[in-house]
Amino acid sequence: MRFPRLLRTTSFRLTLLYAGLFGASVLILYSAMYWYGSGYVASQIDRTVDNEITELETNAKGRGLSGLRETVDAYARQAPGDVYYYLSDRNGRRLAGNVPALPRTLGITDWPSRHRGGPFPLARHSVRGHGVLVTDDAYLFVGLDSFELHEMQEMIGRAFLWGALATVLLALVGGTLMSLGLLTRVEAISQASREIMAGDLGRRIPVRGSHDEFDHLAESLNAMLVRIEGLMDELKQVTTDIAHDLRTPLTRLRQRLELVNRRPNSPEELKAALESSAGDVDAILETFAAILRIAQLEAHSSAMGFQPIDLSEALSEIFEIYQSVAEEEHHTLTAQLAPGLSILGDRELLLQLLSNLIENAIRHCPPSSNIRLSAFQSADGVQVLVADDGPGIPQEQREKVFQRFYRMERSRSTPGTGLGLSLVAAIAKLHRARIVLADNNPGLRVELVFPAP
Amino acid sequence: MSQGLSEEGHATSIARDGRDGLFRATGEEWDLLIVDRMLPGIEGLHVVRTLRAGNIHTPVLFLTTMSGVGDRVAGLNAGGDDYLVKPFAFAELVARVNALGRRRFAAPAGTTLRVGDLEMDLLSRTVRRAGEIIPLQPREFRLLAYLMHHAGEVVTRTMLLENVWDFHFEPRTNIVETHISRLRSKLQKSGTTNPIQTVRGAGYLLHAIS
Repeated sequence: MRFPRLLRTTSFRLTLLYAGLFGASVLILYSAMYWYGSGYVASQIDRTVDNEITELETNAKGRGLSGLRETVDAYARQAPGDVYYYLSDRNGRRLAGNVPALPRTLGITDWPSRHRGGPFPLARHSVRGHGVLVTDDAYLFVGLDSFELHEMQEMIGRAFLWGALATVLLALVGGTLMSLGLLTRVEAISQASREIMAGDLGRRIPVRGSHDEFDHLAESLNAMLVRIEGLMDELKQVTTDIAHDLRTPLTRLRQRLELVNRRPNSPEELKAALESSAGDVDAILETFAAILRIAQLEAHSSAMGFQPIDLSEALSEIFEIYQSVAEEEHHTLTAQLAPGLSILGDRELLLQLLSNLIENAIRHCPPSSNIRLSAFQSADGVQVLVADDGPGIPQEQREKVFQRFYRMERSRSTPGTGLGLSLVAAIAKLHRARIVLADNNPGLRVELVFPAP
Repeated sequence: MSQGLSEEGHATSIARDGRDGLFRATGEEWDLLIVDRMLPGIEGLHVVRTLRAGNIHTPVLFLTTMSGVGDRVAGLNAGGDDYLVKPFAFAELVARVNALGRRRFAAPAGTTLRVGDLEMDLLSRTVRRAGEIIPLQPREFRLLAYLMHHAGEVVTRTMLLENVWDFHFEPRTNIVETHISRLRSKLQKSGTTNPIQTVRGAGYLLHAIS
């Protein structure tokens, strides 16, 4: 199974492509060498032949055709075997030379070897020569066996064969090794992914430390896995929370219904039981909605749809709304709000956050407490304070109160879901706001700092 | 839901999916459409958008499951007139259906509202009861204006929170009760009767005739 898989990899396909390309470039290179080499050797032959003709003509100068005939005869007799001379008169009759017969072809000609039916009885290769007209319209041909040209061409051909073979082989071997290396790393990533899919959410993709693209990929994937694991934990937390916090009221509701069912009731009693049951269901639904809302807010990582908000205006509205409510509970609500404070955010969520904080103060402070709402621009950003002189929260519990369903001992008897501050924390986080619970000496001071937009 | 609304005296008809609903909302005359956001066939949001694009302005009440702010805004932007999150108390649905159904026939808003011996001038922002000026805080004015707009109808606590306070969540203190009781005492100052009645398990009702 290994080999077909290798064949399907991108890097192997690239290897094949490169091998082909390298082969082609080697072919082009050798063709160019062949072309220019042949041209060079041919021109060397031509020069030798032309020198020979000039020499013959010089030697026979002033002696007419018969003189030339003698000279050619003398040269032909001494010829080393790869030089051919031929002289014929104007009627095509052979006068001298070491070639039996030759047609009158003027200019440079390549005659085939004797195996291919050429006119030269001894020529093992083709014969390249020059035919010219001399005295009395006679025809003189001098040619050279072109074995040098053939040898060179054969040599280039062999060199090409070996060169191309070596190039393609190297490309194939190198490419295979490269793809095997890549495959190993890809395999490591898919192996890790499979293990994660199988349920090992804590598993991470190995990072080699070579800072290459694979390490970057592994790091990005690992970052994604961390986020996914976080979300999964959140989800698990929500599920546990729902199971934990809804079981009690649901059990109570069931017991009440059983009780009503067990004994005969008057219509009034039935109606009362139904109404209190509906109240229980409402409380359950409220808790449920709050959990979902917090989960939804926490899942939102971006500030989508945020707009510039006049925080001073929102705060004074909250102040105006709650002033009479506070009065009703015999508290004093005062406000000191700097004008024109502006932040980026969601107005609806901010109203909910602020009203949650004020309501906490109203509900948890004993009568005739002072609650103070203030807002101002500070060096860190826009700061909002909600301070009271009530019982406060002990230092060690200040982090815990933001946890879902955490309720302090003394507030267990009062109605509430234990989700109010979790919601506040979620909204603050969405606005990138820092929230700190501090001691107001006495009482609680909630400090919210919104970063400058 | 259909049964409950019939008992309240409304004639109802149910479309099984988005396509059917869109078809019938276009072809017939209705006083109010109740559209679930999650419909088989064509999505609820899309149904309403198509209706509005086709110049059909029948009031629409959207129903949705518990969800965030974005959903409600999307629904209203698509041309919905009101929005109700499931699960809801039936009284809440009835109150909203009545409010929306009546909106259609409401007289064009003038600058003066009159309910019984109550008179509200929306321009000078003054309220008189039997001719006598009653000074109100801005929020109390908004509250009374909303009640007078819906005189003779039950308005729920949630409707008040949404429309008078702009609160789209459930506060844990008695905001509405506190303001209603203050408004009441101001309206009753001159020893007259209480015009704002509390309807148990449903909401508040401003009597049309006093």
